Amino acid sequence: MNANAVSRSLKENEAYLRQRFHPSSDIVFRAFALQDRTPLLLVYLDGMASVESIEGNVLKPLLFGGLPEGIDRMRTLAETFRREWVPLANVLTDESLESLVKHILQGNMAILADGEASALVAQVQGYEKRSIQEPLKESTLRGSKEGFVENIRTNQSLIRRRILHADLKMESFTIGEYTRTEVMLVYMQGKADEKVLASVREKLKGIELEGVIDSSYIEEWIENNSFSLFSQIQNTERPDIVTASLLQGKVALLTSGTPFALVLPVSFWSGLQSADDYFERFTFVMLTRFIRYVMTFISFALPAIYVALSTFHPEMVPSYLMISIATARENSPFPTVIEVFLMMFVFDGLQEAGVHLPNQLGPVVSIIGALVIGQAAVEAGIISTPIIIVISLTGVAAYTIPRYSATLPFRLLRYMLLFVAGMLGFVGFAYGIIFLLIHLVMLESFGTPYLSPVAPFDGKRIKDLFIRYPFWMKNGRNKKGRQS
Amino acid sequence: MRSLFLLPCCLFAWVALSACKDFVEPNQLAFVMGTAVDRAEDGLIEVSDQIVIPSQLSGPRDKGGGSDAGSSIVMSATGRDVFEASEKIQRKMSRRLMTSHRVLIAVSEAFFNEDDAGKLFDKLGRDPANNMRDTTIVVRGGSAKEILMLRHPLERLTSIAAGKELQINGLTHFSSRQLILEHYTDGVRPLLPVLQIRKLKTGVKAPVPFAALSGFAVLNKQLRVKGILDEDESAAAVWMSGKGAYQGMTIPWKNGQGYLSFRLVHLKRKIRTRSCGDSKCAELVVKAQAYLLENTTSLDLSQIRNMTDTERYMNAEIQKEFQRTVNKVQQWGPDIFGIGEHLHRHNPYWWKNRRKSWDEQFKTLDLNVKADIRLVSVGSSGGQMK
Repeated sequence: MNANAVSRSLKENEAYLRQRFHPSSDIVFRAFALQDRTPLLLVYLDGMASVESIEGNVLKPLLFGGLPEGIDRMRTLAETFRREWVPLANVLTDESLESLVKHILQGNMAILADGEASALVAQVQGYEKRSIQEPLKESTLRGSKEGFVENIRTNQSLIRRRILHADLKMESFTIGEYTRTEVMLVYMQGKADEKVLASVREKLKGIELEGVIDSSYIEEWIENNSFSLFSQIQNTERPDIVTASLLQGKVALLTSGTPFALVLPVSFWSGLQSADDYFERFTFVMLTRFIRYVMTFISFALPAIYVALSTFHPEMVPSYLMISIATARENSPFPTVIEVFLMMFVFDGLQEAGVHLPNQLGPVVSIIGALVIGQAAVEAGIISTPIIIVISLTGVAAYTIPRYSATLPFRLLRYMLLFVAGMLGFVGFAYGIIFLLIHLVMLESFGTPYLSPVAPFDGKRIKDLFIRYPFWMKNGRNKKGRQS
Repeated sequence: MRSLFLLPCCLFAWVALSACKDFVEPNQLAFVMGTAVDRAEDGLIEVSDQIVIPSQLSGPRDKGGGSDAGSSIVMSATGRDVFEASEKIQRKMSRRLMTSHRVLIAVSEAFFNEDDAGKLFDKLGRDPANNMRDTTIVVRGGSAKEILMLRHPLERLTSIAAGKELQINGLTHFSSRQLILEHYTDGVRPLLPVLQIRKLKTGVKAPVPFAALSGFAVLNKQLRVKGILDEDESAAAVWMSGKGAYQGMTIPWKNGQGYLSFRLVHLKRKIRTRSCGDSKCAELVVKAQAYLLENTTSLDLSQIRNMTDTERYMNAEIQKEFQRTVNKVQQWGPDIFGIGEHLHRHNPYWWKNRRKSWDEQFKTLDLNVKADIRLVSVGSSGGQMK
């Protein structure tokens, strides 16, 4: 027998556990005896286990009722408890002290009896958790108001409630040497690609992390190309997005301790699509999508285009526009590129400041930002008005992208394109766009080309990019039997 | 992994080392809005550029004084050709001349008549720094340079004013591109707007000199001005050569009592040619829809008979008037209507022998005008107001 096995002596077991948890103060050892004959010991973590459940389901029946016939010698105490005495749904016996420790850490209660070489583990987890709230980052005008929470069981149920089908599978993995975080692989059997599943399983098993604080830890470990600007895994707080993705044959990963679920594989375009696209009337969606695509382009290209046009190719700008640009820039002390760069830098700086500030201080930053940069800089003649217009338009354009994390690559691209356009004009801009396209075409997300269905071209699926057909149509997204 | 960092470094070096010499800030540019070409002594060309002073133009936050004459300057220099003269102007300037935004090229009539203007337009067609959307005009009586120096009562720059004046009156086919095309085409001759300086009283102050559109010049193959059409003839000629819209028309009624005024829309013209004898006969059909806007005669146009009568009379009048213009142009010789080009396309072999002497041939061509104008509306009141 190894040293970790539950010993017959209650004293030895208690000593082991006390030493294991020493000097933690939140561990509770509750000793009592049944009819003064059999010493028993309850071990649980205060705050992780529900005291009401322990009192009501274990202590009360045992202390008040007792064992009417004593302990049956034929059966072990644990067996008797399990069958007759502990009115809890999830109960198991354990014979290893080390695994007992794990159970206790998860918020379960261990019941040990003198003279027994096994322990009973009862699931009495009960800790404070956040209730389901509307996801703030991905709010929609219509559709479900539920968002994921930190508790993985709740999140699981949010998905289960939406897909009442046995093909919805959830596989559990434990990741993180210290945190032992539960990660759940969720997919629809028969719809999800087996190759993707196999590769995800393999990658999850290969993760060597001390701790998983957020699903981003998992994301970075399993994504194909960490050096790309573009994320190859989507994160979402919305159960309805996960549900829709699962029905499309995608795979989701839930991580304990974070409301952000991961969805994969994704394409470039999924970052530009909002859940509202499928909730609003499709005719209107065509307009919003068109606006979004144009704005996305503006969000990374406008500063570069402005610099290229006004300093390299002024003949391409309509005459009157060029003259008003020239009028505005008459007394500017900096070259256009530097001016645009400064403004972009300050804009991003203000944004960063706004993110970290407490809510009450947020307006302060925006007022100072607007006053100092918007007005004073222009009046002092340091920054010219067209550049303020260009930068604010660029900044606002990035927020038409529905997912925050999808805006990040574009915010970085802005600087890169500005640099090449500032050096070489439209030639440089063209170089930048070509490199970007080469990169995007080479990028893959778990076997799916990142730019699909545009490249490689898929005539059927490309329609969903620009026009969302009504659901009942042949091209409609959720039509029965269709997999996209 | 190493190439991942090496590649951006190489790119950076290449970009940085390529010394961005193409890079010009807007405040290092002098925007030329108009160019005037005049004759100078000893066969030289005098080129004058009207250059915008951006700091004088009222921006979004105007502190008064925007409408001052100081919003542009005119710089001139002489040279053996356009380029040499422009270079001389450039040497006097602190900013690089930018001709891509030019809206007007004014050439004096004297220059057209005494120099080879074809050579002038070689620079326009050859140099990619010209946008060729600028309007070319002929300046009559005086130097073209003066036109640029004038102050316009409404617009900030005279060049812009001249361009806008043509545009608003529906005359859109007078770009320098069009002129170059016509210059190189055998079967059509250029028709150019003529600007003249007139005294105009715009307020209580003394009359100010003002450049106004005063007809169209008919040029021959060598770009010599063969004749200048007056305002009524110009309108007819512009319509018949398919270069713009004839906005309105007033005709006296048969008995000489009262006038009828129409606005014309959907203006079209069509050339028909046929053989007659060993020469060709041509017919110019002008088509339009007319809206009656003013009626000072005693006609009651709610009567259908009067309406058809008016329509017939209007067609006859237009035909008569237009034929007069055509005859005048035919006397001068240059084929501004493009009849030659039409014949060129339809009878290439016939055209081949006559290509060289088309100006002479055109003089004797049997060319008739036919009007096909429909009266579509008599306005909101029928008869005369009692």
